[in-house]
Amino acid sequence: MLLPATAVPTPRAQRINFLLSMSMSRPPLRVGLFVTCLVDLMRPGIGFAAIRLLEAAGCEVVVPATQTCCGQPAYNSGDRKAAQELALKVVREFAGFEHVVAPSGSCAGMIRAHFAELLADFPVELAQAEKLIASTRELTDFLVNVAGLTSVPGRLEGAVTYHDCCSGLREMGVKTQPRALLAQVPGLELREMTTPEYCCGFGGMFSVKYGEISARIADRKCDDIAATGANAVVLGDLGCMLNIEGRLRRRGDTTTRVLHVAEVLAGTEGT
Amino acid sequence: MSARDNILGRIRAARGAGPTVTAAERAAVDERIAKHPIGVRPAMPWETVPRFIEQCVRMSSTVDRVAAVGDVPAAVERYFDDANLGKRAVVWPEIAQLDWSATGVVVEARPAAGPDLVGITGVHLGVAETGTLMFLSGARTPAATSLLPETHIAVVPIGRIVRAMEEAWQQTRDEIGDLPRAVNFVSGPSRTADIEGLLQIGAHGPFRVHVILVG
Amino acid sequence: MQNLTESTGQSATAAGSTFKQRAHIKLHDVKVQRAMKNFNLAGARARAMVELDNLEDIRTDAAGIRDRALADLDVWLERFETEARRRGTHVHWAETHADINRIVLEIAAKASVRKVIKSKSMVSEESHLNAALEANGLKVVETDLGEYIIQLRGETPSHIIAPAIHLNRDDVADLFAEHHKTPRNNDPAVLTMEARKFLREHFLSGDMGISGGNFLIAETGSVYLVTNEGNGRLTTTMPRVHVAITGIEKVVPTLEDVSSVLRVLTRSATGQSISNYVTILTGPKRAGDTDGPDEMHVIIVDAGRSKLLGTDMQEALRCIRCGACMNHCPVYQNIGGHAYGWVYPGPIGSVLTPNYIGLENAIDLPHAATLCNQCGVVCPVKIPLPDLMRKLREKQVDRGLRPWQERFGLRMWAWFAARPGLYGLAAKIAARVGRMAGGSSGLIHKLPGNGWTEERDFPAPSGKTFRELYAARKAGR
Repeated sequence: MLLPATAVPTPRAQRINFLLSMSMSRPPLRVGLFVTCLVDLMRPGIGFAAIRLLEAAGCEVVVPATQTCCGQPAYNSGDRKAAQELALKVVREFAGFEHVVAPSGSCAGMIRAHFAELLADFPVELAQAEKLIASTRELTDFLVNVAGLTSVPGRLEGAVTYHDCCSGLREMGVKTQPRALLAQVPGLELREMTTPEYCCGFGGMFSVKYGEISARIADRKCDDIAATGANAVVLGDLGCMLNIEGRLRRRGDTTTRVLHVAEVLAGTEGT
Repeated sequence: MSARDNILGRIRAARGAGPTVTAAERAAVDERIAKHPIGVRPAMPWETVPRFIEQCVRMSSTVDRVAAVGDVPAAVERYFDDANLGKRAVVWPEIAQLDWSATGVVVEARPAAGPDLVGITGVHLGVAETGTLMFLSGARTPAATSLLPETHIAVVPIGRIVRAMEEAWQQTRDEIGDLPRAVNFVSGPSRTADIEGLLQIGAHGPFRVHVILVG
Repeated sequence: MQNLTESTGQSATAAGSTFKQRAHIKLHDVKVQRAMKNFNLAGARARAMVELDNLEDIRTDAAGIRDRALADLDVWLERFETEARRRGTHVHWAETHADINRIVLEIAAKASVRKVIKSKSMVSEESHLNAALEANGLKVVETDLGEYIIQLRGETPSHIIAPAIHLNRDDVADLFAEHHKTPRNNDPAVLTMEARKFLREHFLSGDMGISGGNFLIAETGSVYLVTNEGNGRLTTTMPRVHVAITGIEKVVPTLEDVSSVLRVLTRSATGQSISNYVTILTGPKRAGDTDGPDEMHVIIVDAGRSKLLGTDMQEALRCIRCGACMNHCPVYQNIGGHAYGWVYPGPIGSVLTPNYIGLENAIDLPHAATLCNQCGVVCPVKIPLPDLMRKLREKQVDRGLRPWQERFGLRMWAWFAARPGLYGLAAKIAARVGRMAGGSSGLIHKLPGNGWTEERDFPAPSGKTFRELYAARKAGR
């Protein structure tokens, strides 16, 4: 799908908008960045891209140094006790922030959609977590709906398609936000898949326990991506990224790039 | 203890209720049944008769309309000729009372049996929301006549068309009181998609449902 | 307690002793794969739901109707029983699957039944009723086209409303030519007409008709059936005896309540605004009636259901068996229904099966999902299927049913993750080792003992962790 020409500002207007947004006079929003354990281990660049975007939106970004994981792998594996320990740790590290942002719909969704249930046995900590639960957002959702970011530093020549990651979409309502921001990237053309909301087959430990089924589900996603003719698939969750990239490469597709939306918007993809 | 008492006992224990049903619990059930409130429904921004016709067609019924009940036999004959169905039908008694003498159609007022090819019935009500015919079983309204023949023709006075299922139930309570043995809601010819998910019209019930609206 | 592997014994195509093995077989079965690619009831549902402008409110209301009945289930069942008996219906109660079969056999013996015709009943699949009847010398004929096909093949249903969806027209053509001794024809229209002709004989000669019951209406003591083919009407109209078998959870208070639920049931199931036939049966033939059975029986089945009441699994009892969860499940869409190994496949099966036959007999099922929640968002009665699967996973861990390697791995990982210093060090090492393993391609082709790389590469880490780089950047500032 081609976007109307008017939706994409000229590069010059883009730079001006960007500089304007940098110099906005409102007091900066103080944001706690939840980097996520997968970004930390696998693709640190996504974390820096997120910082760049948040700063572009006029935010003061704080990265608590002791953070590790939100507890989702344990939660989804049925190890409630381990999940609770890690959730309590997240609460201790992030309860003080007005805003908490993660470059991942699934980690943000863990906090926002599941912490209340998970911490029901810890009333004191749950009370402390109330604001955290309500204010945790996925990166693009925060940039559009809280920070009001209207122009982005990135630029990318070519056609991309966007995969809606399940948790971001169905737990956090992330659908239009990344598309609105991608529309601001000069040179980028968004081509929708037939079923962008269809699961890629990752499912956390599911991809390890039932690798064969998982890969077969990923095939449908790979076919859908290929049919768009896009040079890259852009998405907002590292788990889905690794899964889709891993299946594309095993199928022999060495050219279709798999990019995190933060990298594309920040203009740091491939760094 | 009987199986019944064991099951009901387990249910009561599971929901933390005492061993026997209380008067208050029975009263709550009585009240819900007495009030039988209508739930949340979609918007129904349509007139009943046009909606009924549109939905009948959507469910693969065919629809004809005549001005008065006296026009029904001629409409039936027309349909027979167009569909090449011969001239014989088994009908409900109320349909047999119409004047068929001007037509070549031979009607028999008896319940349909296996070999009968065409059944003609009235209806209890029509339901506009879904293009549905509502039948009550009974001595003069045998269920088999709308079920066994390959072709089913139903005569529907427009005054008998109600908006939705809920109105149909209320009107039935008002007119009949208790339910008969069988209430059948029929929406178009029978169908199946059990082979490769492909829709086939005409499984075990009628292949054709033809509605003759009167009024 | 039934064992999952034994219960699939009657299905030749569901060979393999674990879910994973069965799924593997299905993933490499060309016919199943072709059938599953053609299968798209999800699209039909999406088109039908457009008509409901307030779908979310209607779903919430439908869930509320189901919850209301479940909250005082015994009182509604008692009321159903009273109203049904008042109108001449015999009400039976079955605590177990064995009870269902015993009760049907007793009714059959008393009424000198020789031939039984059946409309779809998933509860009778739970109890292997057909086998029990046949073992007692009764002739049993399934009359739903899909059920008829799989009965002739000696299989079990692979979907709760499309039981033969795993087969194609050539399978059916071969089957009918063999059993009907008719010339082979693979046109679905011709095959459907052929089944009509052969089954019509059975409808007219059956002594007992067995149906399920989509709902029981407490207000009137009625059995409520939703069908398309017309076999449900024939099964409950033509034979002398009608037996309806359904679960305790299927009771709904009033005719208005069931009308609300029907709006989402048929749209969720097949994308129809209504099924062709909705039949409400209230007792046997009345004085003066020209048709209908002389006896009507309802068997109300527990068989594990009451165990869910009052627990964190209760929401599963709202289920109205539309099949939308499996139609939308990426796992079901790839492996089909037989791999799940018991009566109910897909997400609802992954919740009901462990509950009904034992958590230890269905170790894989709660994990056989990506938790994408497509099932949860389409469920017409808002059953939080991923949450229920997750709770079952917790119960497995609590009962020590998961493999020790998995439990140990999770413990180790959680132990590290709770200790940021150690965790940072471990991540730093893993990032470097992974980077090296990825080599110039940046891809790891084989992770030992890990299903990931069976059919997929693992993109290698880029070499340094975020925390290292961030610390370096801050120090540099």
